[in-house]
Amino acid sequence: MSRNLNSFVLADSKKCIGCRVCEVACAVAHLDTEIKTVGNMNFSLNPRLYLVKTPEITMPVQCRHCEDAPCLKSCPVSAIKEQSNRIVIDEAGCIGCKSCIIACPFGAIELIVSRQEAMGDDPEVIASKCDLCGGAPACVKACPREALQYVDMVKEGTQRRIAAANMMSGFHNEFMVREG
Amino acid sequence: MAKKLQENIKIDAELCTGCRRCSEVCPVDAIEGEEGKPQSVNIAKCVMCGQCVQICSAYDSPFEQYATSRSQRLKERNMPMVKEPLFAAYYQGDFFKVKKQLADKKQFSMVQCAPAVRVSLAEEFGMPLGSLVPGKMVAALKRLGFTRVYDTNFAADLTIMEEGSELVKRITEGGSLPMFTSCCPAWVKFVENEYPELIDHLSSCKSPQQMAGSMFKTYGASIDGVDAREVYSVAIMPCTCKKSEASRPEMKSSGYQDVDAVLTTRELAYLIKEAAIDFNDLPEESFDKPLGMYSGAGTIFGVTGGVMEAAIRTAYELITKEPIENVNVTSVRGEQGVRKVTLDTGALKLKTVVVSGLKNVIPILEDVQRGKADFHFMEVMTCPAGCISGGGQPKMLLPVDGRKAYENRKSSTYQHDEEQHYRKSHENPDIQDIYQKFLGEPLGHKSHKLLHTHYKPSR
Repeated sequence: MSRNLNSFVLADSKKCIGCRVCEVACAVAHLDTEIKTVGNMNFSLNPRLYLVKTPEITMPVQCRHCEDAPCLKSCPVSAIKEQSNRIVIDEAGCIGCKSCIIACPFGAIELIVSRQEAMGDDPEVIASKCDLCGGAPACVKACPREALQYVDMVKEGTQRRIAAANMMSGFHNEFMVREG
Repeated sequence: MAKKLQENIKIDAELCTGCRRCSEVCPVDAIEGEEGKPQSVNIAKCVMCGQCVQICSAYDSPFEQYATSRSQRLKERNMPMVKEPLFAAYYQGDFFKVKKQLADKKQFSMVQCAPAVRVSLAEEFGMPLGSLVPGKMVAALKRLGFTRVYDTNFAADLTIMEEGSELVKRITEGGSLPMFTSCCPAWVKFVENEYPELIDHLSSCKSPQQMAGSMFKTYGASIDGVDAREVYSVAIMPCTCKKSEASRPEMKSSGYQDVDAVLTTRELAYLIKEAAIDFNDLPEESFDKPLGMYSGAGTIFGVTGGVMEAAIRTAYELITKEPIENVNVTSVRGEQGVRKVTLDTGALKLKTVVVSGLKNVIPILEDVQRGKADFHFMEVMTCPAGCISGGGQPKMLLPVDGRKAYENRKSSTYQHDEEQHYRKSHENPDIQDIYQKFLGEPLGHKSHKLLHTHYKPSR
């Protein structure tokens, strides 16, 4: 059985400078009202990708949208679903049990206080992770070093095969010429 | 004992990730540190323009743990208890200092607002980028308790009277040419730091902020029958370097520090929010007279090319004794870092240069040093689009909105110029009045004492 593989965002640690622009862009893209200036923010930025900075490496980590997603399988209330080739969290269904956080091998899920609830007396804590911004990730667009790539698995395979074919035809011709 | 200058640009080592994007925008290479390691600001080189503060995106992530608490960080920055994200590059503000003074109802306070603040302040209250709100800004300042709400724009008109006359005098009677504008304190500090041998080329005029300050504590105080000592003088600026300028020890021509405190646009927004003033709902109110009356020429000081255009509107008439044909000198406007424009005034072809972005001025200064400068007058603004893009302006979350904000603030500034009844500084009736009643004439004895200054090499 053939099926389309899920897309995901991948960072290149050789290009990443650790500026956190991707995190800011991600948090802004997921606000429920339009906010342009820092002074209008009356809560923290909640990104869905996370800069990792160790002495050896600098790059953000985010959800891989696994084909056999452990988070999805771990959710006791089925609040994590696969929808149009993405793994998404149904925020209304989430009970904040943290099973998905334990299950995720990438540390790509965090619990955040949902904004609407944060305004009232009963803050609701929900799981939050990359949703690929509906196919045009804000982090990819914002990166000043083009260190992030939106990996579309269908296109990626096709492109790689074309590149490989071009390369091999070159080799082959060279080989044929030498042989002849 | 020499008073210490307010040097306020800092980088929080705990938040800095060492991406060094700030060093790309720093015009004086003052940001030092290894890639990937926390950076620091070399105060000897820094001109306090605050462009690093604007570009920094290394914020306090809710998913990381820091040794410093949020309240400690706010305290280090002199910021009120806001919930906004905090970034590594910051400036130490003056919020509490001004708040305390305003709480004293017996205080006689006078406030001035730079031209670029009225086209950006509303952004901090969710209004569209570049919204033009001089009337609401005045209303907010009155509700905050300022006794007199005056305007830096009046002082910008005054600057043109003095600087235009100074230029004409240097050309006709001799003096250091080319002459450089002196409104931008980061530019002045740059000349003092890096090109001390060119100090004589700077106009001796104080900046509009400092001219307003000295007028507040002399003429302004006398109008209200108060002693200069009792006046608390505050400036609202789009700029982080203006704080340092106000703290210069020589800036006390009135006998007292002419400007007691400078707040950035962002800090004014904090004051308004903390006082629970509904900014969007405020009525439009007017600046107090006479030190709040201004021409369109005064308001364009906020954009690159604006000081030059305002100067040309007046200098043309000073030289030719005839009004300029088109008051909109569009040739000096624009985005390019260096613009050269020659103005035909009959006998004299006035050659001018407009520079925005401090790095762009270096080759020109090298020419001046080699005696190869082929112009009379140069305007320099440190920030990329002039004061509208200053370090104290509202900070955009996304870089793409920064460009949009500059564009909108600029067009609002020119719109405001066109709305004014008077478009030329010398036609402002309260400018004519202050010369008649108080100052005498441009470059006169009193002007020299109150409106002009001198510069010192830093090395």
